[in-house]
Amino acid sequence: MFNTATARQDCTFFDLAQQRNVIFYHMGYFSHHIISAMAEVVKLQLEISGVSGPTRRKLFSSFVELSQNIIHYSSDALNTSVSEASGLRQGAVCISTDGERHLMLCANPIATADIDRLREKLEPLRNMSLDEIKQAYKVTLRSETPEDSKGAGLGFLTMARDASAPLEFDFHPRADDPDTTLFCLKATI
Amino acid sequence: MDNFYIEATATSPEIDFRFDQNLLSMKGESYPENAAAFYAPIVQQLRTYLASKEGAAITANIALAYFNSSSTKMLFSIFDALDQAAEGGNGIEVNWYYDEEDETIFEFGEELKADFTSIVFNDRPITT
Repeated sequence: MFNTATARQDCTFFDLAQQRNVIFYHMGYFSHHIISAMAEVVKLQLEISGVSGPTRRKLFSSFVELSQNIIHYSSDALNTSVSEASGLRQGAVCISTDGERHLMLCANPIATADIDRLREKLEPLRNMSLDEIKQAYKVTLRSETPEDSKGAGLGFLTMARDASAPLEFDFHPRADDPDTTLFCLKATI
Repeated sequence: MDNFYIEATATSPEIDFRFDQNLLSMKGESYPENAAAFYAPIVQQLRTYLASKEGAAITANIALAYFNSSSTKMLFSIFDALDQAAEGGNGIEVNWYYDEEDETIFEFGEELKADFTSIVFNDRPITT
């Protein structure tokens, strides 16, 4: 039988999301089609909510880079038997507002062995000025694509360039699976 | 050589290479699932066409409203091909269209201008 009390309790996530000014949240498996559909909604929502053109573009750009990162790098793939290109991978993306600022959060599982590699890429960006980030972007644009990259090796630099504060990141080890760690990245725009 | 056309999708631009008119156009947004795979045949067609040209006046109209980081890299390859053709004696003119408010695309155009000096590069800001 339908349990009203449980349903009411289950609905509190909606209120919570509203209290925290969530514009968009998706958690689950990501595919290119899902990203494309989400992009359409995010773009429209930002337009309607009156966010200025330049901020909108930065948010949209960060959204695409973050979501494509999940497809490319999340260690949790739904169908490992088929080719990597069509794999669905697990992660979460959240866009919310905090006063004048927008927060863009993403989380996805990675192999614990990859922590150091990611930290080495992200840590230096935190101490760079916008000019230095732009300079590093220009250098990377003209250099060979790194072997471990599935894009252009420009994703984090693009996010750092669009953000108005240093990128924040964290690694949460999974108690039930020591080989897997949850990677969280936060961009303020 | 046959003209080359790819229809736009929500995440990839329209490619309209009219080789018979020496007119190359790219228009739309670019964040395909795999930018390297999407652009590889485009760059290949372009290079084959350019290799057959001598002393031609070629115009490229590029109007990309957004491109992700991996597409950026592929655009660089396209400009590299155009620049080589210009060095080889063809006249290459690029019209770079962007929203006048869009600093990122304007700045990327500046990078292209700085690197590919044989191309005649026209900034075409669009007022919205």
